[in-house]
Amino acid sequence: MNRGLSSRRVITTVAAVAAVALSFIVTPSSRDGVALAVLATLTVIGGSVLLSSDLRRAHPVVTRAATSTMAVSVSLVATFFFSSTTNFNLATGAAMAVTLVGLSFLTGVSGQVSLGNGAFMGVGAFAMAIWSNHHSTTPIVVTLLISIVAGALVGLLLGLPATRLRGPYLAGMTLAFAVAFPAILTYFNSWTGGDGGLQLPNAATPPHWLRALYVHGTTSLTSGTLWLTDITLVATGVAFFFMANLFTSRVGRAMRLVRDNEVAAELVGVNLNRARVLAFVVSSSYAALGGALWTFLNNSVTPATYSFALSIVILSVIVIGGIGTIPGALIGGLVYAYSTNVINWITNQTGLNPQGNFASQLNGIIFGGLLIVTMMLAPRGVAGVYYTFRHRRASPGGDVKSPSEETYAEA
Amino acid sequence: MDIFLTSRIASDVLGGVTNGVIYGLVALSLVLVWRSTGILNFAQGAMPMMATYVGMIAFGHFFGYWICVVIAILVGFLIGAGTERVLVRPLYGKPEINPVVVMVGFLTVLEAVAAAIWSSTPRSLTTPFSPIDFHLGGKPFALSAFSLYQIVTAIVVMVAVAVLFRFTNLGLQLRASALAPEVSRLLGVRVNRMLTLGWTLSTGVGTITAILVSSNFFTGLTPQVMDGIFAFGFIAAAVGGLDSPVGSIVAGVVIGIILQFVGDYVNSNAIILVALFILIVSLMARPNGVFSVVKARRV
Amino acid sequence: MIQNKLSRRLSAGVAMMLCAGVMTFGASGLASAAPKTPGVTATQITIGATVPITGIASPGYSDVSRAANAVFNYVNKKGGVNGRKIKYILKDDCYGTPGFGCTGIPNTATQTRALLSAGIFATVGSLGTPTQDSVRTLLNSNHVPQLYVNSGSLDWNNPTKYPGLFGWQTSYNEEGKIFAQYISATYPTANVCYLGQGDDFGSDGLAGLVAGGVTPMDEQLYSVGALVVTQGASIAPYVARFQSDKCTVVVLDTIPGATDATLGAALKLGYSPHWIISSVGADPVTVDQPFASLPIPDPEIGAVSFSYLPASSATNAWNAWDRKVLLADKKDFPNFTATSPITGNMTYGIGFAVAFVEALKATGKTVTRAGFLKTLTHLTLSQTPALTPLRYTPTNHQGLSGGYLVKVTSSSATAALNGQVYTTDSGSGPVVKTKAVAPSIPAWLK
Repeated sequence: MNRGLSSRRVITTVAAVAAVALSFIVTPSSRDGVALAVLATLTVIGGSVLLSSDLRRAHPVVTRAATSTMAVSVSLVATFFFSSTTNFNLATGAAMAVTLVGLSFLTGVSGQVSLGNGAFMGVGAFAMAIWSNHHSTTPIVVTLLISIVAGALVGLLLGLPATRLRGPYLAGMTLAFAVAFPAILTYFNSWTGGDGGLQLPNAATPPHWLRALYVHGTTSLTSGTLWLTDITLVATGVAFFFMANLFTSRVGRAMRLVRDNEVAAELVGVNLNRARVLAFVVSSSYAALGGALWTFLNNSVTPATYSFALSIVILSVIVIGGIGTIPGALIGGLVYAYSTNVINWITNQTGLNPQGNFASQLNGIIFGGLLIVTMMLAPRGVAGVYYTFRHRRASPGGDVKSPSEETYAEA
Repeated sequence: MDIFLTSRIASDVLGGVTNGVIYGLVALSLVLVWRSTGILNFAQGAMPMMATYVGMIAFGHFFGYWICVVIAILVGFLIGAGTERVLVRPLYGKPEINPVVVMVGFLTVLEAVAAAIWSSTPRSLTTPFSPIDFHLGGKPFALSAFSLYQIVTAIVVMVAVAVLFRFTNLGLQLRASALAPEVSRLLGVRVNRMLTLGWTLSTGVGTITAILVSSNFFTGLTPQVMDGIFAFGFIAAAVGGLDSPVGSIVAGVVIGIILQFVGDYVNSNAIILVALFILIVSLMARPNGVFSVVKARRV
Repeated sequence: MIQNKLSRRLSAGVAMMLCAGVMTFGASGLASAAPKTPGVTATQITIGATVPITGIASPGYSDVSRAANAVFNYVNKKGGVNGRKIKYILKDDCYGTPGFGCTGIPNTATQTRALLSAGIFATVGSLGTPTQDSVRTLLNSNHVPQLYVNSGSLDWNNPTKYPGLFGWQTSYNEEGKIFAQYISATYPTANVCYLGQGDDFGSDGLAGLVAGGVTPMDEQLYSVGALVVTQGASIAPYVARFQSDKCTVVVLDTIPGATDATLGAALKLGYSPHWIISSVGADPVTVDQPFASLPIPDPEIGAVSFSYLPASSATNAWNAWDRKVLLADKKDFPNFTATSPITGNMTYGIGFAVAFVEALKATGKTVTRAGFLKTLTHLTLSQTPALTPLRYTPTNHQGLSGGYLVKVTSSSATAALNGQVYTTDSGSGPVVKTKAVAPSIPAWLK
């Protein structure tokens, strides 16, 4: 085993050096080279950490950090090569995945159902826009944090009744919130800009430190959208890193106990109400971050975007991806980002009139149908199917562990 | 008397009752499903919407208003029974989220299918009653032939449901299978059939509601016609108690009146905000509804 | 076994390194410029638009883009413009409201990016104020002209910041000024009430009314969100207020759904003021739909509205041409017959489509974006369906700047109130009476 470890070190070092050297050789513009070299090195280091099973067992937090770093670095490098449309789709999907992983946590770990996460996204989206309009010089990271806090506060307000409500009442209450949300926004029109919404004041100008890093080279960088994508991806990586830890933390375990057996949870000293409200607040904060990232990506926000339909869409894609799991949120984000393309493809293949009634409703028919079928046949979605399959292979005849129990091993 | 009837307060109360009976009917249909199968049916607006399209629009070419209403209710019965048999039955005993998600999926499919067939252009339903308010001494008072029709229909439906549950053998079986399915089965009640019947009745009540809502000439019939109404209906059901038919109806009417006053005296853009506030406050105070007989589970 | 594991790790490490290397290498090959005009070939010009085909704004408005497409199809059948066929890509943005009709949320930005990647020359006739505001920066930074935006907002007239952005219809503000002129001339002593939408449609319209000398005694702004949730019931309290204010003239800056709710509430109350309804929410066919089966006449009949396009009842050469074009497009209008009403939304779509093909024709055989924009800002189009000349200048991108008053005469038709055409501007300029342009059709389009 020792020999293995040392060879790994050698490989890592060689790979990192080679990557850095290569990036300087092949990129004429030095600054892009630096950016790429940093990313390549992070990728290699992250990957090599993951390759060591000792390290994986001994330091799960480091492993998760490595996974996130590597995933983000790889996708950042990839964004250099993708078209701006692809990048935008990816970023939109990534921000959606942040929302999804929050809902995944709420439902999968704490067992509560929310139909209002679209509205919580809206809280973050508008918090971001309102703050930026009043304090246009605030750094983006701070603005994102402020949006998260706004989401947490509204989540707390709605989460308080949740301590006393059982599933369907809670779902109904969040539904009422989601239905009411656009009307609430327009009621406070001096803040939210009414039905017209808000624009970000300093649209499409990257912050200085980022410009310094990216100033030369590729055209897609200077056209002003790549940095939006990249910041969104980094924020997504950070959010997922924290969530992966939360899933396995003491808090996460306590919540799962609350979900599965309230009496047992009380016996071991878990405060049921606090656990439920906390899960609700975490979920709404994540949704708020997702919404803030959307505002950031689009430079603008309108109330109509955060209508009830969005909450339904959120529920559908997380169910398809795999509720209660972390990879399920990523799958859901991708499904979301590419659903329009898939539907268009189907429309073209079947020769439907793309402007006809049927083609324009195909999305609803297909997604609604998928939602029903998934819940009937594979309630844990794509991710759940994968886990079940892997466990059958690993331990034929043995007990299949609950997928949610071991999601952290994946993340 | 005339002066009082045409006063601002009286017209707010009358307008509130007219809207409130609709919320109460939606709440009643939710309660029927909840009591029989313990499921909060999120497609409770969309299933009747579909029945209304089939009955009032598809058959509207051939028949007059009343025949179409009967057809629509029958279609509603069929949709309710079919849904329980095919979609809901496999979900009994599953985690709470499963029926929620499935019914949300069903809601989506129904709205999309309706829009694919009939487009989202509002359809106008023929009504046999004038929507124009009556006048007293040259002043309108907030009641028209149509709103009377709406209120009377609501009362008839509520009385019919009450009679069915209280005074018939069938009603007894329905209540028994909801409260104690195992015991009922031992006593020879066909519990599965009773569950189907609960959904059938509920969708029938919903269809009557949907016909009333879409005959409302402000908007006509659209695939999304019940979305907002469903939210108000749910609020009424939650405030009144999901297991209390009387409570949900009373809550519906009271909420209707309160919202009418808010719209008139505060700002009609605040209506939904106030409705949400009522919901949160009442759930904080009585988590199982104001009229609920079941004690809240203390933890 | 250990050996095996090690070799697996080795190959994984090498693969990763190669990966990193390849990624780094690829980056250098990125910068390349396209000298050709995007979307333009010798035989085709590709344009696009984001429009609501589904969702709350789709009733009525979905006809706009289809009617424009009918014009392009008609022109293509005649050989195209300067030998180029027009390809019109329409993307559904649900008016920015997400749902299952379109999941690429926020839709307008996503769908606009989809248009960009399809390589369009320009967007032509995209619909909506908040929606198009949200993609101004995106289109501008990609140097894609954003032409004939379907909205009367003042946001489209900012040539220094957005050189490629052009409006089309007379602004809400100008409409308000012309309404004010009519009100002060016809009802000088009446109580005037105002109901507008809670965005720039309402605020610009109200500002225009005030600038024109009419200050409403009661002005209310409704929220679209509340309108949707309450099925129109949120409008009723405003109407009750107007009635108790004893307003005999009510000005509406409303979308068709809100117009319905207003007229319905007034009908219920037995309240019948003189309605003055913005062109946005007055199309008789659309407004009549929820009233069609009632045993009473359409409550909109008699209302005064505004138009810059020929009234459907008028004997106008363009009306006959419109019908010919719509009848020829069986794909977009399968149920359109020789007797079907031509809605305001259809003439609207035909209007900007004709303006576009004429400008394209005038640009000549060689089409570049700069060349097209130069033609657009130095050309006065007097042979379009619009009754005032379409005159953009390098400093004015607003589009039409006037029109005439119409009266709703039936549930499907309007007629000119008087023969007078007015022009004005969106500032403090006066409302001027002018002559309507002759409704002639360019020979090559006949």
